Amino acid sequence: MLSHMKKAVFYALIAGIFSFHPYTAHAATDLDNNGRAIVEKAFDYWRGMSSVARFAMTIHRPDFERTVVMRGWTKGRQNALFFVEKPAKDAGNGSLKKGREMWSYNPKINRVIKLPPSMMSQSWMGSDFSNDDLAKSDSMLDDYTHTVKGKKVVAGLTIYSIEALAREDAPVVWGKQDLVIREDGILLKQSFYDEDMIMVKEMRAEDIQQLGGRLFPRIWTMQRIDEKDRYTRLEYLELSFGDDLEDRLFTLASLKNRRR
Amino acid sequence: MGDFLLAWRNIWRNTRRSVLTILAIVFATSLLVFMLSFQFGAYDDMIDSSVRLSTGHLQIQAQGYQDRPNIRKVIENPNRLLAMVTRLAGVEDASIRSETFALAAGPERSRGIMITGVIPDNETGISSLPGQIKSGRYLLNEDSGVAVIGSLAAKRLQIDIGDECTLLGQGRDGSVAATIIRIVGLYRTGIDEFDRTTMQIPLSDFDSVFSMAGGAHRLVMIADHLADAGRIATAVRPAPEATGLAVLTWDQLSPGLKQSIELDLVGGIIMYAILVIVVAFSILNTFFMAIFERTREFGVLMSIGTKPMRLVKLMLLESMAMTSIGLVTGTILGIAVTLIFSHYGISMGDSGELMAQYGIADRLYPHLSLASVTIGPVIIAVVTFITALVPAMKIPRMRPVEAMRAC
Repeated sequence: MLSHMKKAVFYALIAGIFSFHPYTAHAATDLDNNGRAIVEKAFDYWRGMSSVARFAMTIHRPDFERTVVMRGWTKGRQNALFFVEKPAKDAGNGSLKKGREMWSYNPKINRVIKLPPSMMSQSWMGSDFSNDDLAKSDSMLDDYTHTVKGKKVVAGLTIYSIEALAREDAPVVWGKQDLVIREDGILLKQSFYDEDMIMVKEMRAEDIQQLGGRLFPRIWTMQRIDEKDRYTRLEYLELSFGDDLEDRLFTLASLKNRRR
Repeated sequence: MGDFLLAWRNIWRNTRRSVLTILAIVFATSLLVFMLSFQFGAYDDMIDSSVRLSTGHLQIQAQGYQDRPNIRKVIENPNRLLAMVTRLAGVEDASIRSETFALAAGPERSRGIMITGVIPDNETGISSLPGQIKSGRYLLNEDSGVAVIGSLAAKRLQIDIGDECTLLGQGRDGSVAATIIRIVGLYRTGIDEFDRTTMQIPLSDFDSVFSMAGGAHRLVMIADHLADAGRIATAVRPAPEATGLAVLTWDQLSPGLKQSIELDLVGGIIMYAILVIVVAFSILNTFFMAIFERTREFGVLMSIGTKPMRLVKLMLLESMAMTSIGLVTGTILGIAVTLIFSHYGISMGDSGELMAQYGIADRLYPHLSLASVTIGPVIIAVVTFITALVPAMKIPRMRPVEAMRAC
């Protein structure tokens, strides 16, 4: 009995030593070997410090296509607010994202509904983006380990391929994500793999141009892998970075009252 | 005829052994007849109660809806189709349903839920759900803006009868669908998964909230008899109203149910196989004994000119005579027992209450059918014939002189 306990304590100690992950200790210095730093840079670049945008989202299906025009505000990695402008039938519907939580507002019934965790992996407004894609985009940094898998130079800019593997007990949907990030922080491609490491969907960035004072891809396409002719395209119509947005913009009251 | 008489007399030379052998066959046969009738009867009950809770015996859907349900895969003109199928012979009742996954929100909590739009009056004919209302009432045809919800779902959303619940989902045209409904009833089917994740609203509400433009997802049919399902499906498929739609029977709609029945049947078959093997050994034993006992007699018969094959035939006649007596008696006994129980039913005892919750009757009734009456006896006949053949084939190898010297 006693020897069993000794053994158990011994194994617990061993496990404790090895579970101390080296990543917490190392500093973000050299981009070439630090996947996390590259990803962090890309996410900051993508979101800017804050942004105001108008974009058209086209949901394409083999038998169906629908375009929704939306207005959105983002601040840092945590906060985002979106409202539908067109079509008229859906105008005024809104989504608020704060941290990992999301709320939805519908003007017809004038109610705000909090999305339960079980719905977070469902599609956002019928698109190929999931609620998680919006709400958890920064879980990309915390819930995954990042390894630089390759790099190449195109037109004078280094492009990194990064493999992000989900941590053991991270509450995430995707088992693995592959990222292609340019050295200036522009995310070119993001592939989503399920737990069995089978690619489920892929996001591509296209038409990189000056938008809101910096280089930014104007078109984002999220494509399902298992079904042909099924994608969601996000096209920026207006975009500006750096406006100083107040924190009270990202509150439930604002979601309910700011009817655009 | 002479040989038959000889065989008959031989059987009764050792009355006790023959009677025991016949009794083994009687027992096995009647048990097989009864058990198969009971099992088939129980399966029919299971299928019936299960389809009445969810799928119906048959459904018509848009192609591909079964594998990948999608709000846009609709039957465009469900009412025309409904009128057509209700006229078909063998269709007891039919109705239309639409369904989609949406977010339901109570005052504090929200959850994803499966919302089904139903025609309340028709639903009573095709589903057991209207009869499983725990509190409140089921939907009525004139209802609008109300819903019945699974008792566990209501608990999770912390809502009760009279409370409002917000639904948020996506319409057929991709638009945002939102509405507020009032709960009028809670149902409890006993299947927790179902009670936790489903809600029903009137089809007319479903149509307007989810912008269905008259389309529906499932046309559900209940047949007069389970066995009619295949025939009705064949009758519906070529109809012009069903062009481009999928007609599915219960086994395609809930393959899990069919698989669990098949699994149970395999278990049964193993048990029956053991029973048949035991009977076969008892017969084998009887015949080996007979051969050893009568080796001297066979030697004498062969040495006075009897052909060995005639002796083999004699032995087989004896065995077949015994088997026949056993089979006939056994089948009659089996049918009699089955009839008695199919009249009174078999109480499920304590588990009856549990079954009742699932919509299954608390008494099970065996069901006599041509299959359940014939399968058992035929198998036993074949097995005993083969078993008798083994010892009988020893006779041609006997040499008369040696055989006569045997004790």
